[in-house]
Parts: sequence; structure tokens; C-alpha cells
Amino acid sequence: MADGPLRGVRILDLTHVWAGPLATRILGDLGAEVVKIEAPMGRGPRQFRGGLPLGGWLGGGPPQEPWNVNAIFVKLQRNKRSVALDLKEPAGKALFLALVAVADVVMENFSARAMPSLGLDYDRLAEVNPSLVYVSMPGYGKSGPYCERVAFGPTVEPMSGLTTVMGYGADQPRNTAMALMDPITAVNAAAAVVDGIRRRQRTGKGAWVELSLHEGGVEFCGPWLIETQLGGEPSRIGNRHPQMAPHGVYRCAGDDAWVAVACRSEGHWQALCGIIDELPKNADREARIAAQDAIDAAITRWTVKRTKQEASAALQALGVPAGAVNITPDMTGDSQVQARGFFVPLEPGPTPMPGNPVKMTGIGSEDWTPCPALGADNRAVLQDWLGCDEDRIEALQRAGVLVDKPPK
Amino acid sequence: MEIGGYAAGYCGRLFAQSGHDVVRVDAPTAPPAWSSQQAMDLYLHPGKRRLCTADNQLLAELAGSADVVIAEADSADAIDELGFDRWRAPVKVAITPFGRTGPKRNWQATAHVLLAMGGYTYLMGDPDKAPLSLPGHYVEFQSGGFAFAAANACRFANEANSVDIGMLEVVMALSQFTTVMWHCGGVVRSRHGSDFWSVVPTNLFRCADGWVYINIVPTFWDAFTVFLERPEMALDERFLNNEQRMLNRDALHALIAESLATWRKADVAARAEECRIPLGVVQSFDDVLADAHLAERGVWQRIEAAQGTVRSPRRPWHVHGEPALAPGFPASATTEPPNG
Repeated sequence: MADGPLRGVRILDLTHVWAGPLATRILGDLGAEVVKIEAPMGRGPRQFRGGLPLGGWLGGGPPQEPWNVNAIFVKLQRNKRSVALDLKEPAGKALFLALVAVADVVMENFSARAMPSLGLDYDRLAEVNPSLVYVSMPGYGKSGPYCERVAFGPTVEPMSGLTTVMGYGADQPRNTAMALMDPITAVNAAAAVVDGIRRRQRTGKGAWVELSLHEGGVEFCGPWLIETQLGGEPSRIGNRHPQMAPHGVYRCAGDDAWVAVACRSEGHWQALCGIIDELPKNADREARIAAQDAIDAAITRWTVKRTKQEASAALQALGVPAGAVNITPDMTGDSQVQARGFFVPLEPGPTPMPGNPVKMTGIGSEDWTPCPALGADNRAVLQDWLGCDEDRIEALQRAGVLVDKPPK
Repeated sequence: MEIGGYAAGYCGRLFAQSGHDVVRVDAPTAPPAWSSQQAMDLYLHPGKRRLCTADNQLLAELAGSADVVIAEADSADAIDELGFDRWRAPVKVAITPFGRTGPKRNWQATAHVLLAMGGYTYLMGDPDKAPLSLPGHYVEFQSGGFAFAAANACRFANEANSVDIGMLEVVMALSQFTTVMWHCGGVVRSRHGSDFWSVVPTNLFRCADGWVYINIVPTFWDAFTVFLERPEMALDERFLNNEQRMLNRDALHALIAESLATWRKADVAARAEECRIPLGVVQSFDDVLADAHLAERGVWQRIEAAQGTVRSPRRPWHVHGEPALAPGFPASATTEPPNG
């Protein structure tokens, strides 16, 4: 498990898909003791009937236990422990409540109706642990006219207003198609948990903390929402920027190869003019914004003769903000992230996984643990947290309350 | 104490809205933003005290009196030049584009550049056009969120620490399945417009008065055929499962487009809710500001501006039983009561 300032903070993680597990991964990276409470069928194998999962199998294939090596799932579960029990069964529910009683935090991102329908809403959890920090993160929240709507990151994104400014032009809106609301909400949730436990440290009180994909997206759009009220009209301008010019993505030599360039200051512009002769050196920002088509064409004439790495290196050498539009092999091979040990090789494989962007003095990734197998920590968690003896654990296993593989 | 651009400003916003005493040190000029400087100020800085200085001695004194310092700068050298390492605050967070170490620590970047290097840009936009960068301050705000979590974690543990956050690594840490898709599946993830590609149908469709986005993962397929008033599609061999729908994507999209073209987005949303399928309508910023759901959930804070009162979204989480604003937040920013 990871060391970090949250060591000793016990988190029961009921989350699934992306936003929730990413949030608990962030907290685990900071040292929290995250126990993933998993349904026996929570990892599949139903979803693998179509064959290779989207992200492939960790450690090659075909796997003996596909539910334990689905790469997309595994990527989000490092530094966690796994307890597999069925919350729909009375004995599983009772065991879960016993864990809640000694936990600091419970996190879930089910639909608004899921936890109440299990009889496990905040009021019930607070009965067994009044100092609990309970974090719920349904798509549209647990109240309000949309609370019953089905929500995924890609469908919530246009509801936030973001599509108003995302796209190639006025009549060409685009969705990011990468579920952007999820990572926004994940970071929000991690921040909310730490704020919640500090609040409890200060007041001695537990709390029900709520956040939603929708409100995370709306908060992200806050500056545009205020600008609109001030009379502004934010719009879709492709890769351009309302206050910077040039600001674009330019074609380079190679297949679908591009470099991103942005001039944030006059100094950047002068540096760019130093490498591309035909640019109008004396153009101020307003003049550059007015002449963007011509400037972009001139930059492209220069970039198409170079690879994206050559172009970005040449521009950076003169102090121009520029970077290759990277694909994955470029990302993991980047000299900067390699020098900083950002990608962490975790078993099986080992597979390089994106690391923790929070680098603290004296805390590294050497003690990180990979995603546990389903139910791998049933015994250890029940012993550590509840003091269960072997007889009770074996009885729970025999009764099927605790499992370590999906039912056949 | 916060000093720097929009990442530090966002981190300070979270601290201020969580009841902390935040002092912001402004630079003489602010970096370019996606909205006016006034809008950025109204969004980021209510509830803070602000001063403007470039005096490193004064900065050191302020930092020495702070519990937490959040410092953002354009490069590792720029952080050093502030005197960051000499500041005596117990918890210090440095936010820079590439982090404080490594061969590119002094490379110049904007969010646009970092999104490109971090693997986001390649995935957005149309396959036959230039990749599409993400507008807004995603990189800065996410970095600020990490800084808030890290600083609060140190305070929770009562531990002193110096934290180094590289914004490029923030972007890479928040990659979806891009990296494992390559390392485990040997596939470079690519862009397909608004189409999520691997789950069909998941795309943006035009309706009579706007656009809607649908995301029909397999468990919602049957309900979707009912929603679309095309129950025969549930038995159509071209669309029997996701693999078939991927193979017959264009034909399916054409049928969906034909159905939705004459429906109004409000009716589409209501029907989607009734049929319980995942769908969102494209809302303008005016639509969002008028949204009844957000109003009922008390999302808006009132902020006084020169032009009058404007509404700004509160911090993105809410503690039940407490007002949306923490005690001590200035009267110039009050939470709008439910239902306006």
C-alpha cells in the first residue's frame, strides 16, 4: 500500500466505472487505506463475452481469471484491498454495516435510488457510525428534477454548457467523447473527502457530502457562465483562443502528426518570429488575432517540414510554448516523465501505469501494490478491522457471504 | 497564501469556499484566460484578501505566517526565483507545467500545450481534421484540485511537506484507458468526432431545435428502441449486440438521426427520462443559468459585480445540513436560496 499523509484513514469504496474509482485511487495514492467492497459479479465476467476488453488484458492472454486482469479496471484499483460480498443478501449487508462502524469514509457513485433501495442510505450508515463521512456522487445528485435521470459522463457533458464552446465552429459542436465529467468529478471527490475528514477532525461530526457529475461540469464552466451574465458570448472557435494568437494545432511530417503551439506573451511571439521568418514580427496581439488565418498558414508551412518532436524541440529551444500532440507511446517515452518516474510499472506485466501527480518529499511509489484479485483481502480486512477469528471467516465463506471469484 | 495563475487561484477558491482565510498575491498582469479577467476574478477570488507585490522579502514574510502556501509559476526556475524553498510555511505546494525536476522543467507551456503532450488532444475531434484542443481551464483547475487535496491531507496529518505538482502529470494521471489500451491491447486510441466509438450508439445527434447526446451501453439497448419508437430495431440482426451495432454504425446512426430530427430537445429529454436511457441535451450557458434542477439544488452563489449581481457556481461538493457557503464567507457572495 502507499504511504502518505492519509495513512490510517479507512475508506470503504463502493464506486464503479471511472469517476469513483479514480477518486479512491487518488486517495489511496495519498496513503488512505481503501477497501473496495465488490459485488461477486462486479468485475464480470459477463462483459467479456464479446472477447478482448477495450483496454486489453494485463499480462497477456487469454487469462484464467479474466475478471482480475481487465486492464481498464485494474488501472484504477492500485493501493486498494478487495472484499467481495453481496450487499443484497442480509448477511452481506450486516457484514458491510460492521465495516462501516469502524470506517472513516464510505464512497459510492450509484444512481440516486440504489443505496436507499438496499436500505443503506446515509441515515442508516450514520446510525452505526455517527462520525462517518459519507460521500455520494450520483450523476445529477440525490435531489432535484433530474435526480432520476440516467447519467454517464458523455451525456452530462452537454448539460454543463461545455458543448457551447467545444467544436470546430458555430454549427459544428463536438463532445469530447472521453467522459470528461468523470475525471473532473474524481478530483472533486478526492478534494471533498479530504475536506470532510478535516471538518470531522475539527468538529467531531460526521457528514453526508454530495457531489455530482453535473455540478462538477457546471463548476468547470463557471467563468463562461459569469462571462455570459456580463454580456459576453462565449462561442466555438476550434483550436483558437480568445486572448492568444497564434494558438493552434499544426500539421507535421508523418501520419496524423501534429504540434500544439500557443503564444501567451509578446516574448513568445518574438521568439516564434525568430524561427519562422515570414511571420509579421511587428504585429501586436490584436493584429495577430485579426490575421490568424495567414499566421496559421505560415506556421504550417514550417511545421509540415518537421516531425512533431523536431518542431516542438526547435520551438521550445527558443522559448515558444509548443508540444507534440502525443499518442500513448510518446507519452510513456517522454524524457520528462521518465526522468520523474511518473509511470509506475505494476504487476502483472509489469505494465506502466500513470502515477500520482502529487510528489511529496519522502514519499514515493516503491511500496505501491497492484490491483488485488477479487476478494483477495476478505480474510485480512475482517481480521484487521473487525477482529474476526478464523472460524467466523470460514463460516462466512462457506455460506457464500464472502467470495473470491464470481459465481458460476 | 496563494500566488500565481489559475491553478493556484482555483485551489484558493476551494480553500476560501471551505471556510479558510485565503490571501491571494496577485501578479501585475494576469495570464490570458478563456473569458474576461473580470469573469475570472468573480469566479476565482470572492472571499479572499488580495494584494499585489513582487517583493520577495514580503512574500517570505507572508508565507511564514501561512499554514499553507500554494505557489504556481511558469517553470521550475520561476518557482525557485520566488524563494519558494526558503519559505517557512509548514505545507507548501508548487504547481508548474512540468514539475520542479527533469529535463523539461523549464519548458514553456500553456494548458493547450499540456493537453497535447498529455495525450488528450489526439483523442478529440474528427479523424479527418486537426485534433481538437479542449477549451477552458481544465488543466489548471484539475491541478488546483490536486493541490487542495494534497495540502489538506498534510494538514490533516499535521505533517509539514513540500509538494511538487507537474501539470503535465496531472493530465496524464487523468487519462481514461489510453495507456493500457496501448500497453495491453497494442492499440493506439484515436479520435472519432463526438462518437465514443467502442459503444454504439454513443454520439451527438441533431434534433429539431438543437442537439442531444446519447450513450447507449448494451444494457440500455432495448429501452433505447422503445425510446426511439422503433421497437423493431430490438430484433434487427444488424443491431443485435454492440459488435453488430459497431459493424452497422452508419445505418443505425441514420435511423436515429431520422427519428430525432423532428423532435424538440425538451421532449427528447423527457422521453429519455421516462424510458430511463442516458441522454443529455446540449445546453447553452443561458440554459444552464436558467436550469431548474441546478436552482433547486442551490448551486448558485450571488456575487456582486460592477454591473450588478451575477451568479457563480459554488464549490462542487455540498455537505448536507449546512449552507452551501462556509461560515465566514463574505456577504458579497451569498448563496442563492433554492428556486431562486
